[in-house]
Amino acid sequence: MIVAQDLSKTFRTASRKPGAAAFLRYLFHREYKEIQAVKNLSFSIPKGSICGFLGANGAGKTTTLKMLSGLIQPSSGTVRTGGFDPFERRKDFLRRITLVIGQKQQLIWDLPALDSLRVNAAVYEIDAAEAQRRIAELSELLGVSQKLDQPMRKLSLGERMKCELLAALLHRPEILFLDEPTLGLDINAQQSIRSFLREYNARYGATILLTSHYMADITALCERVLVMHEGSLVYDGSLQAIVDRATPVREVEFELSQPTTTDVLQRFGEVAEHSELKVRLLVPRSELTHTLAHIFEQLQPTDLSVKEPPIEAVMGQLLRDGKVEPIGTPIQPAADKHEAVRV
Amino acid sequence: MRLLRLIRIFWATALLAEIEYRVNFLLAALNSMASLAGALFGLSLFFRHGATLGGWSWNEALVVLGLFTALSGLSSTLLTPNLNRIVEQVKDGTLDFVLLKPVDSQFWLSLRRFSPWGIPDVLFGLGLLIYGASGASGALLNLPGALLPLIACVVILYSLWFIMATTTVWFVQIYNVTEVLRSMLDAGRFPIDAFPSGAYRFVFTFLVPVAFLTTVPARAVLGLAHGVDVVLSGAVAIALFACSRAFWRFALRFYTSASS
Amino acid sequence: MFEAIRLWALKIRVQLAAQIALVATYRAEVVLWALSGTLPIIMMGLWTKAATDAPAGITPVQMVRYFAAVLLVRQMTFVWVIWEFEQDVMQGHLSHFLLRPFSPIWHYIAGHIGERLVRLPVVLALIGLCFALYPSAAFVPSLSDLLLGFAVIAFVLLTRFVMQLASAMMCFYTDRASNIETLQFTAYMFLSGAIAPLEMFPPQVRAFAELTPYPYFVYLPARILMGEPAPVAQGFTVMTLWGLVFLGLQQIGWRRGLRHYSSYGA
Repeated sequence: MIVAQDLSKTFRTASRKPGAAAFLRYLFHREYKEIQAVKNLSFSIPKGSICGFLGANGAGKTTTLKMLSGLIQPSSGTVRTGGFDPFERRKDFLRRITLVIGQKQQLIWDLPALDSLRVNAAVYEIDAAEAQRRIAELSELLGVSQKLDQPMRKLSLGERMKCELLAALLHRPEILFLDEPTLGLDINAQQSIRSFLREYNARYGATILLTSHYMADITALCERVLVMHEGSLVYDGSLQAIVDRATPVREVEFELSQPTTTDVLQRFGEVAEHSELKVRLLVPRSELTHTLAHIFEQLQPTDLSVKEPPIEAVMGQLLRDGKVEPIGTPIQPAADKHEAVRV
Repeated sequence: MRLLRLIRIFWATALLAEIEYRVNFLLAALNSMASLAGALFGLSLFFRHGATLGGWSWNEALVVLGLFTALSGLSSTLLTPNLNRIVEQVKDGTLDFVLLKPVDSQFWLSLRRFSPWGIPDVLFGLGLLIYGASGASGALLNLPGALLPLIACVVILYSLWFIMATTTVWFVQIYNVTEVLRSMLDAGRFPIDAFPSGAYRFVFTFLVPVAFLTTVPARAVLGLAHGVDVVLSGAVAIALFACSRAFWRFALRFYTSASS
Repeated sequence: MFEAIRLWALKIRVQLAAQIALVATYRAEVVLWALSGTLPIIMMGLWTKAATDAPAGITPVQMVRYFAAVLLVRQMTFVWVIWEFEQDVMQGHLSHFLLRPFSPIWHYIAGHIGERLVRLPVVLALIGLCFALYPSAAFVPSLSDLLLGFAVIAFVLLTRFVMQLASAMMCFYTDRASNIETLQFTAYMFLSGAIAPLEMFPPQVRAFAELTPYPYFVYLPARILMGEPAPVAQGFTVMTLWGLVFLGLQQIGWRRGLRHYSSYGA
């Protein structure tokens, strides 16, 4: 459905160094700096899937989304969205897609959403009765049926975002590009938008590409993620796989019944936290049962729990460094460990 | 003296920020020249059939126009950028930050911004004034005597603007009340005597005191001023300035008690 | 074919309705903008006094009528698309228009027409003021003059819109494109007859002005409304020619500008 091949985008900005002399020079001769926002992106997204674009700020996600929707022309490479070259902006193409940008509104600020929706309905050639039906259906799903006749500026941020989504989907696009759709919204609004998108995808088989800072969005919606770092694609695959690869360890948290030294604890695993009686260890998954048995036997802990390290930690590292190191240092070879445990 | 240093810093940063747009600078100067050429052309039309403009000769009328142009430039440089900001700050609620600063709020709001775009107008206007004054015989000698009316007219202009800007504390949505004022100030291009007596002269002397903005100082520069005019312009200036201050204090009381 | 036209007309109608609703929400501002167009009243006072000895054969009464007509014409033909467009480009709102299968230009046209309707009552009130100042000059144009005048005003509005839209294409390249418009505005003010009827111009200046579209923007419709002889055919011809030139420039500017907009981040 969406195919990108060696997609790249370079921006030119005028660069200026500080200081008076440099400034005068700047007035007469501009120097340009080239910024490669997107470097050789290649991927293919099948129809009906929901994919997440992840990346730190400035990684190139929004630029990529704009290239896929035809707002920005690539510097090199090709992209085909739904079989069209997006930059040609053919009417048939525009009718099939939608782009929602988190903080930017397309609905008119001083008017009720209904007025703007009527304009959209006319522009997309949806007849009035059908438009009514769709507005009713979508506003029901989003929970904003009562809010459509109030001026947009009177609605809360969450309600406004839902109205924006409604407007964006009025023409039942097959392809949705969503750039930070839940930015700045409260938990309830975020959750309702997530379930709405799932429902929309299930009902109409739409292809959804979404970027977000919130892992909860990604985990709730996307089976597949594309991770960008400084303009390049560093990972393309299932979310679960990357989480598994990055976290071969589990967190074991427990309370000691009597104090002990950090050295003693280190024989069981990497000590992530040790304060008085509270301990948090990182233990490789393969060693987990074995180590747990030893902990129970030797330390008599109270209140023990086993957790996966938070996904944010994994992704945080990925986004920051562009690669993932398994969390936790390698444990010593098996022989030594048995020695250490037998105290 | 701290105030002077503050002003210098405000204006230096503003200048640097604006000059980034070199195309703009050229356009502003071009605009000034074109505007002035047009104004001169418009003025000349009145003199085509050997007539005078309400008894003012060509050179004398040039003094009025020059003064108007200079004041217009002063508006663009200091008044517009600052006083438009007041509206924005009231709208965004950021006026609070200004009020918290250990500097008089009226001072801060009036002089914070500086836009160099009006400078060509000021220069051209002053040039025209001097040209016209020298054309009407011996008038240059009267510049010292014209000092008071000239200062008065600047104060009057400022006070009028500030009062208009203050109203936006109440009427945030209709900030372009200042536009209405500005369009009426256009009458200042011409000496008051050029207007028919009656409604026009009344409005432009007492309601929108354009007469004190350009005609009276122009008369003073040309050595034609009556003592009464000079004293009156001084009085009007002081009165309007006091008004603007009092009105501002009143507005602030309203603003701080009503802010949410 | 007819279906396409019907759909297009529907889209215009709906956009117009939305724009009128929008303008109605800030009608107070519209009133103030209309009130700030009082220059013709100022010029009226000056010229009426100067015309007491009827230079070039124009009487004071004719001066009053002329400037009252100028007031109406200027208010009804004022165009601001360059400022709107500048905002939309700078805030990225243009992107939303580009994603819709309908040209953004209709949005701006609908906005202008909608605003006119809200402005009209204020303008009529201002004309009432002019006639209150000079009751002997009060008049109502004949029906044929009104109709022709309206047609010319509509054409002037279209031409000015196209010309300003062409300048607006510079918004893609610089964020102070409205300054270009200010230059053009100066020419408009001094050549269109807004400050004085063309009869007062020196013959060479008048001849030069009549090559530009400006006199036909103000002087022409004002004369029609006054019921005086006016260069109608000449006006339509010159305006059409200039309009086409600027339309061409606008089309080129739009294509190039869009490419530039998309290179620098939409």
